[in-house]
Amino acid sequence: MPKLFPVQEIGSLAKPKWRTKGLRQQLSSQDLSEAEEWATKLGIQDFHDRAKSIFKTGDDKMRVKAILELSTLYGLRLFEIAGVDNEGVGGEQQRVEMYEHVIKAVQGMNLLGHVHSFDNKYFNKGVAESKISRKHPIYVPEFLDVKKYAHRDVKVPITGPYTLVDWSFSGYYIQKQHASSPKTRRIEAKREFLLDIVEQVIRPEIRDLVDAGASWIQIDEPAVTTHPEPQEMELFVEAWNETVKGFNCKFSDHTCYPSEIGYKVLSEYAPKLDKCDQLALEFANRDTSRLGVDKDSREGYGDLKHFVDAGFSGEFGLGVAHVHDFTGNVSSGAGKSVGRDFIESPELVRDRLLFATRIVGDPAKIWANPDCGLRTRTWDVAFAKLANVTHGAELARETYQ
Amino acid sequence: MSPEIQLAGIHPRSERLIELTRSYERAKASWSQVEVQLGQETREVIKLQDSLGFKHFSDGSLDWQDQLRPVTRSLKGVESGTRYSRWFDTNTFYQKPIIVGKISAGDIDPKNFLRAELLTEKRGRKVTLPGPYTFSQLSENKHYKNYADLLFDIAIAELEIIRRLKNEGVTLFQLSEPCLVYQPYRESFRDHSEVEQALGAIRSLVREKPGDFLVQTYFGDAAPLLPDLLDLPVFGVGIDLFETDVSSLSEQEKTSKALVLGVVDSRESFVENPNWIAATARKFSEKVDARDLVFASNSDLKFVPQGIANQKLEALSKASELFEESR
Repeated sequence: MPKLFPVQEIGSLAKPKWRTKGLRQQLSSQDLSEAEEWATKLGIQDFHDRAKSIFKTGDDKMRVKAILELSTLYGLRLFEIAGVDNEGVGGEQQRVEMYEHVIKAVQGMNLLGHVHSFDNKYFNKGVAESKISRKHPIYVPEFLDVKKYAHRDVKVPITGPYTLVDWSFSGYYIQKQHASSPKTRRIEAKREFLLDIVEQVIRPEIRDLVDAGASWIQIDEPAVTTHPEPQEMELFVEAWNETVKGFNCKFSDHTCYPSEIGYKVLSEYAPKLDKCDQLALEFANRDTSRLGVDKDSREGYGDLKHFVDAGFSGEFGLGVAHVHDFTGNVSSGAGKSVGRDFIESPELVRDRLLFATRIVGDPAKIWANPDCGLRTRTWDVAFAKLANVTHGAELARETYQ
Repeated sequence: MSPEIQLAGIHPRSERLIELTRSYERAKASWSQVEVQLGQETREVIKLQDSLGFKHFSDGSLDWQDQLRPVTRSLKGVESGTRYSRWFDTNTFYQKPIIVGKISAGDIDPKNFLRAELLTEKRGRKVTLPGPYTFSQLSENKHYKNYADLLFDIAIAELEIIRRLKNEGVTLFQLSEPCLVYQPYRESFRDHSEVEQALGAIRSLVREKPGDFLVQTYFGDAAPLLPDLLDLPVFGVGIDLFETDVSSLSEQEKTSKALVLGVVDSRESFVENPNWIAATARKFSEKVDARDLVFASNSDLKFVPQGIANQKLEALSKASELFEESR
């Protein structure tokens, strides 16, 4: 019998200061003191040798490569020690962030500047200035480092084509449209831009990843639920099916922070997604912070039923840990609120998993994960959250043993 | 007289301010440093409006973290901070207001709404607020059994906010009501009885001085609703020309209201040509004979980088002159 409630990460971890600074300039031994502290916690035995080589090299490219490799190793070990079963790519340490990292590798696109996302978070938004193509591999160098160091299964998260297009300005693609209605021009531009991203950028990347040994690719598509109109959803399905066509690999979708009806709409189209073995979804964000397996206590997980009712038969990656700032009340036993963080207790994680199992019907179809990548939390907080997710999954597992 | 130009919500922050707020998050900059920069940039946004001939000045709302938050934080019966939701179909988020008790005005600090001290008294002052219908639609209601009660309580509480802001010299309020025309978060689009309720709540909110209000719709087609909107006792009504099917408007509609034309797209980086803006406005005015036209972006310009937002405002200003020359 496979392990019930395996734990996975979803994507990003915060970038340590030494990693960020080290990409721009030479590091001092003081800069690496934080890394040294974590090296002990994470059991990085050759830290001092690696640090020496980082200090010694006068070649910027070599230093950057060594720092990216080291931070990837740290991320992988953090996940392992927290008990995560699938350790992804070590917290996406080699990426700027999910959008910009890809856009920088696309010929024909230009980053215009930052726009507001939420609170004091922003993203650098790109525009298509001509027909697009892939300049160079996007995720493959990171995957090769991950392969060297990962002790457990690996999933490669990539940003999906629909989201890349939706978060970009259409520029070239909209200006070449001739329809008289601005709305029609926008829709036609989006389709052409999207299919070009799939064919010219994403499929070549997946081909390279699969050739390099990737066996599970998570396609992140947070933008899909923002356009619940049938025309847009059909476009998403068309792009997804075109993306995965012909590859021998496990694929999963990660979609988070939908509008109120976003998951209901996604659930109607999820069964049409070819080779989609798992949906990793965000629920903790909308759930209560009290224990219980009743419907009221677990109000955040109600949308799961839409997917079951619609006939999606794959696995679910269940968001059981919140990844953003939290300022609400926490009931006894459900965890603790520390500053802007909420550390869910193992018991709360357990209750979320058990409630979801009632809806899905089969515990073997449920993975435990944070709602999304943990990049907005410190490593201490990310570790505490993941350790409790792992422990909570163990408690849920005990129920079935 | 050439059409007035107005800001229609939150203006984008500069790269400098963005970097500073990020540093603040990482505890590498103090809040007072952020405030100094916020003040400087607010002055720059005001100066830009001055140079482009604006009649009503906004402060750009550069410190607003989302379109609802200052209102959310001013109300009793509303909690927030635990849940983020997507702002329509954009890649931006807002803290979702959770309605947990009867809504009423709480502690209203005008400083959370505008930097009055930086705005000249020689020009009108404009503030953009979420309309009561949109605020209610984008909240999670855990208290009210009757939706109309929720809607009207929000309107009553917002009226208190508006009274306080009038004391700060605000002369024009934009009530943003995108939910009247776009509801991607709902399974079924609102019916006409809901529209009646929404318009009723707006009427109750503007009753003390209707001439101080604009009702702005965006992200959806306002054409089917335009006759109802034009019946509102307000100074003007705004529509998104990138979504509104102008061809479906009945010929030669005449109105004593001002029409705010959302004629530059806040969701696209391409800066509209002033000739195209003027021609589009002319085509519109052949369909609708409005007392006044106002040129604006279709919604908050915060969805584009600041440099592009400023260019779009300059394009509006130029288009306003071209429009006037051709009249």
